[in-house]
Amino acid sequence: MALPLKYHTRYLLVHRATTLLTVLVVAVVVGTFTWMSGFAAALGETLSVAGDPQKMVVVRRGSESEFNSALSMEDFNRLRQLEEIARDPETGEQLLSGEMLVQLQLPRRSDGGKTLANVAVRGLREVGAKVHRDVKIAGRFPGAGQREVIVGAAAARQFVGLEVGKSIALGYGGDRAFQIVGIFTAEGGPLESEIWGNVDTLMNAYNRNGYSSANLLFSTSVDAKALAARLEGPQIQLSGFTESEYWQKQAANIRVYLGFAYALVAFMFAAAVFAIANTMYATVAGRTREIAMLRTIGFRPPHILAGFLLESVLLCLLGGILGCLLCQAWLSMGGAMKDMYGATTFSTLAFVIRLTPMTVLFALLSVCIIGVLGAIFPARRAARIEVVTALRQT
Amino acid sequence: MTMGYVLLQNLRRNPLRTALTATAFALPMAVFVIAISIVLNLAIMSQDLAKQLRAAVHHRVSFTNFLPEGMRSRIQALDQGKNRLTAVCGMRWFGGRVPGAQNIVQSLAADHDTFPIVYPDVAMSEHEIAEWNRERRACVVGKLIAEQYGWKVGSQFSLQSSIPPYQELEFVCVKIVELSSRQSVMYFRRDYLENSLEALGAGPGGCNVFWIRARDAESLLALQRDIDAAFANSPDETKTEDENAFIAGFIQAAGNIPGLMQMLAVVVVVILGLVGGNTMMMSLRERMAELAVFKAIGFHSLRVFRLVLTESVILAIGGAAAGVIPVWALLNLIPLSVPGRGPSMPLTASWQGAAGSLFIAALIGFAAGLWPAYQAMRLKTVNALRNIGE
Repeated sequence: MALPLKYHTRYLLVHRATTLLTVLVVAVVVGTFTWMSGFAAALGETLSVAGDPQKMVVVRRGSESEFNSALSMEDFNRLRQLEEIARDPETGEQLLSGEMLVQLQLPRRSDGGKTLANVAVRGLREVGAKVHRDVKIAGRFPGAGQREVIVGAAAARQFVGLEVGKSIALGYGGDRAFQIVGIFTAEGGPLESEIWGNVDTLMNAYNRNGYSSANLLFSTSVDAKALAARLEGPQIQLSGFTESEYWQKQAANIRVYLGFAYALVAFMFAAAVFAIANTMYATVAGRTREIAMLRTIGFRPPHILAGFLLESVLLCLLGGILGCLLCQAWLSMGGAMKDMYGATTFSTLAFVIRLTPMTVLFALLSVCIIGVLGAIFPARRAARIEVVTALRQT
Repeated sequence: MTMGYVLLQNLRRNPLRTALTATAFALPMAVFVIAISIVLNLAIMSQDLAKQLRAAVHHRVSFTNFLPEGMRSRIQALDQGKNRLTAVCGMRWFGGRVPGAQNIVQSLAADHDTFPIVYPDVAMSEHEIAEWNRERRACVVGKLIAEQYGWKVGSQFSLQSSIPPYQELEFVCVKIVELSSRQSVMYFRRDYLENSLEALGAGPGGCNVFWIRARDAESLLALQRDIDAAFANSPDETKTEDENAFIAGFIQAAGNIPGLMQMLAVVVVVILGLVGGNTMMMSLRERMAELAVFKAIGFHSLRVFRLVLTESVILAIGGAAAGVIPVWALLNLIPLSVPGRGPSMPLTASWQGAAGSLFIAALIGFAAGLWPAYQAMRLKTVNALRNIGE
């Protein structure tokens, strides 16, 4: 017969101060951990959305991103000759989009506009909306020759001044007003952090006469590796990356930082194990005679062992739940909006940190592990108490 | 019976608890010393940079827009007598990579005549300056880059630019820079770059940034205002920021590591406060009777208070030292650095960081011991003694 659950819950209540302090230790560690895994999950989600397997980003050989790439008209015309590029099934239009990229500095909402973020401005034509096929536009595509732009939903949410109907200053001198005529989504992908305009209008505003990069959809029958090799080859001499390759590269530096931060949190997890062990040893020591009593009325050592493990896990679960709540409270108070720079684009990826059920589940699971690890030695001590000696103690 | 003896006996009475608490202090303190070292190093770096009285003049829209060559003389003309302005050094991003390599070497072309004047902290010797002026392919390389690629003074290597027109240039290293804020950047001569641009029909190139150096802090502020005013309403409107403001953007861009570290440091302090408080509460509960005896035989309440509080502080410092000292020693042996664009953040643990960590630990021990010590002081001797034997 196992010890009744109530026995343990009562005990946690009796030593309120110790319970509370231990629960708080676990809560703080778990809260930090949850925030970081929420961050990693949000970033991973944003980047993994950008994984259209048929899409390829083409840049100048040797450049590390679309921003410092430059394609001449000859380069672009050579791309046009590729029969691997898919065509629109209705119009037969080649799904190849010449694009121009520049950056715009915009104030962040999250800190009240104190710091500026580099936001990508992408110029393309209407065919671009077909190549980036995840994109859904509410409003209309910027008209040719019109000083109009549409803004990504994440950018609109996180940076100041991106509301429909308002104007933003673009152009090489930052002196040309472009009106915002729509919002677009890209299923949460990185394109949502961008601002889009008509490529010819933008080229004019930025005194450019060539594209930065090209995006294309290739036919399903074409192998991505073979296509990339052909682009690299002597006839074309450009570099092609599948969309997921291109965006995963952007997270390279962020992953280093997250790894570093996780290592530090691992230390704190270990500390929590020791804190739990401390509390459990004290509670076992204080209950020696009582445990001996339990033994005399028929509870077996395995019951005692399981009971103390359970008590510790309960304690930790309380902490875990509190930690998740703390984290959620922090996120609701405005700590959720985050943006990071891509490793090579140096322009911002905006995303929102959310506590997913998976994150919470993982946090609670790791908390149970802390509970078991911390209690295993004290519980064993409890189970091994010499009944007669313990009862004789005054 | 001295206070010290009692303290020692108390800590030895339950060695398991002492060890567990000390470990629970040591682990987060190891995190704390790392976090605070990064924050401190950056603070020291920004203080050093502020002393250098430099400011960056870049295009108002973005520093990816190029400013025309001629701007240098127009900036210099703002202060004919050189009363406020020491020198102007134009710079252009090259961002080369070793052919075949993945990573970019942060490389910038700088005006060779003014570079040593604007950057005296790079500490070029007269011989090195002479080499830099003589050899057109000369470059000065940050220590971290040099270590990564195995370059030494005299090494020749080539880099291919990652921006149009992607030319490949050959360089000769004339100096390895030790200065902490310049360990992951490389500078070479801009006239050399301009020649290569012209040869490819891509010149004149212009600059991303003009770095200025002022005589004093007041002049720096005045110059920032004057420069921006001078180019207002021109096609090349400028924005002039002091070096720390300029770098702040890069630090933010690199994921705001200092912010993350500050957050972790706060978390550690909270955890330790809770752990310390918990331990002291537990040991107090077990020791009620004994403290009552102390009081019964004439220990002053205040002395009991001091006893409990001192125990808490000693435990905190001892535990913290077990975490801080190994990390500090390790980082001194193997300095890590956080790579990335902009300034690198060398993760060397300073003695200030270590001492600061121990001090914080002592404060936490003090705060955590206050309530238990107060309770011990308020202990009613008779009631506590009555509990003996139960």
